[in-house]
Amino acid sequence: MGRARDIRLAYVLLAPALLLLVTALAYPIGWELWTSLTDLSPLNDGPTAFVGLENYRRLATDPTFWRAAIVTVVFAAVTCAVKLALGLGLALLLARPFRGRALVFMAIFLPWAYPASVSVIGWYWTLSPPIPTAYSPFMGSLKYAVDSALGGGAWAFLSVTLFNIWRGSSFVGVFLLAGINAIPPELFECAALESKSAWRRFWLVTVPLLKPFLALAVFLALTTAFADLANVWMLTAGRIVYPVIGTHAYWLAIHGGQFGPASALSLTLAPFLIAVLFLLFRMFDPPEREAV
Amino acid sequence: MAQVMMKDLNKKYDEVHAVKDVNLHIRDKEFIVLVGPSGCGKSTTLRMVAGLEEITAGEITIGDRVVNDLPPKDRDIAMVFQNYALYPHMTVYDNMAFGLKMRKFPKPEIAKRVGDAAEILGIQELLKRKPRQLSGGQRQRVAVGRAIVRHPQVFLFDEPLSNLDAKLRVQMRVELKRLHERLETTAIYVTHDQVEAMTLGDRVVVMKDGWIQQVGEPLELYGKPANRFVAGFIGSPSMNFVDVTVADAGGALWVETAGLRVKVPPASAGRLGAYKTQQVTLGIRPEDLRVASGTDSADYSFDTVVEVVEPLGSEILLDLKAGPNGIVARVDPTVRVKHGDKMRLSLHPERVHFFDKKTELAI
Repeated sequence: MGRARDIRLAYVLLAPALLLLVTALAYPIGWELWTSLTDLSPLNDGPTAFVGLENYRRLATDPTFWRAAIVTVVFAAVTCAVKLALGLGLALLLARPFRGRALVFMAIFLPWAYPASVSVIGWYWTLSPPIPTAYSPFMGSLKYAVDSALGGGAWAFLSVTLFNIWRGSSFVGVFLLAGINAIPPELFECAALESKSAWRRFWLVTVPLLKPFLALAVFLALTTAFADLANVWMLTAGRIVYPVIGTHAYWLAIHGGQFGPASALSLTLAPFLIAVLFLLFRMFDPPEREAV
Repeated sequence: MAQVMMKDLNKKYDEVHAVKDVNLHIRDKEFIVLVGPSGCGKSTTLRMVAGLEEITAGEITIGDRVVNDLPPKDRDIAMVFQNYALYPHMTVYDNMAFGLKMRKFPKPEIAKRVGDAAEILGIQELLKRKPRQLSGGQRQRVAVGRAIVRHPQVFLFDEPLSNLDAKLRVQMRVELKRLHERLETTAIYVTHDQVEAMTLGDRVVVMKDGWIQQVGEPLELYGKPANRFVAGFIGSPSMNFVDVTVADAGGALWVETAGLRVKVPPASAGRLGAYKTQQVTLGIRPEDLRVASGTDSADYSFDTVVEVVEPLGSEILLDLKAGPNGIVARVDPTVRVKHGDKMRLSLHPERVHFFDKKTELAI
């Protein structure tokens, strides 16, 4: 009797969270999955038809898709690696006490704390000065040099990457600093008793101890990079030469009215992302045998 | 094996002067315990020996080397931390082998040393486990094992038993003592627990506010405390302190206050002569009081009223009032009294302590 009531109560208590999950996550994802299997479009006059995997099939043969997919993966991987390295460096610097640490902490945290939409415009204006200034010829020739060396749009892609790293490193740094602070200092002290080499201590002690935090940082860095649509859009003023999956899907859906293919497109990288996240989650919370 | 010397050792943080002019000579193979309330500077002193804290002033010598500017790794010490500081991502074996691996010992040598240490500590079965799969006592053993595989010149223990439950603490205390007798390595042990200090230490260093209060063998600290602080810190329940006035009556010295008047024992009379008509602090340990019988001298007896009775089984603790003065006495478990009973107590004249009221030093 009591147990049945406990179970019922548990569901009642879970209900708000479940409701939120269903309305905010499950329903949109379900809708998107369904849409990706149809030819849903505001431009269609007739009823929406179920087309099966047609949208996906067409993507597989579309060179634009493959280019966007590669750009997205490279973008995510590169930014993620750099953000992790920079963020970890910042965190390690901030972990030891020094005069003025609070100020440095604020300076490091600022890129993340500042609204992205505002800072992205700041970056845009810096890289492409809207009015002639002393350095606009310099910026112009830099852009020209980069583009002619690496191909048209390289400058734009580079600026997006830099912006993502600039903003993301700040977050990763603060996040990993919290991780370092959560580790009992004795574990580092104990290592100091055994080795003089900071480099060895870093690899043998700091990195393994930080592993859950590093995994979570990669997790967050990857997901934000994959989902980065707004910043790419704003920083390139919509003139996208190197589309990522997000911008390409946005273009297809909003400008092209092709909801079906756009949904399919935005879902293509999902299995890859889920696999990576699963691996990271294993690192983040490894299943271990219980104490005997 | 080595002696450790601390000379005029000082540690200052921005605002706090944590360790003040500590001078200590720890002999080879000695087990020395630093004890005191939290914030007394005992851990800071230990951490300066380890090299985890910089020395503000003074000198530390281990063996025949001044180690002030040596990094921790080169001091040839091993430390056991209060929370064990085991690496959660390594097995017990790897945790114990860590220091040796860092020092690039050959693998067979590492295996042998870890095996030996595991055998001494009875943890051979646990070598493949991760720390999280161990109980508190087992983790403690691994932490000790990690220290002994290194065969260091000095062991440093920073409150290693504080995270264990009371029963396990007593058991590990005995094991540590046995281990020290077996390994014969100099050990510096920090604790806030005076029982641990008394039972483990060849000598005990009592610290307060960064100063050394007294250094001595356990029974010396108990029997001849240098000042009121040491007298109150060593022994449980603590020594009773009563402020009394020294008076000369009929050629003999007495100390008196409301509700209490006892003769100054002959052994102390000489030194107390200088305090005539002045106030001093009388100190009596609860175990040096007993229920007065007919044969006890009236000179060393006084009347009390029972306030609280705490039967502990092997003994009874009585909270009493002698006039306005609170007194704790430790009496035989056969004594039957209850709240409000009147009781005459007699003190052990050779075990009475007197302290200067101002300097708090023993008289």
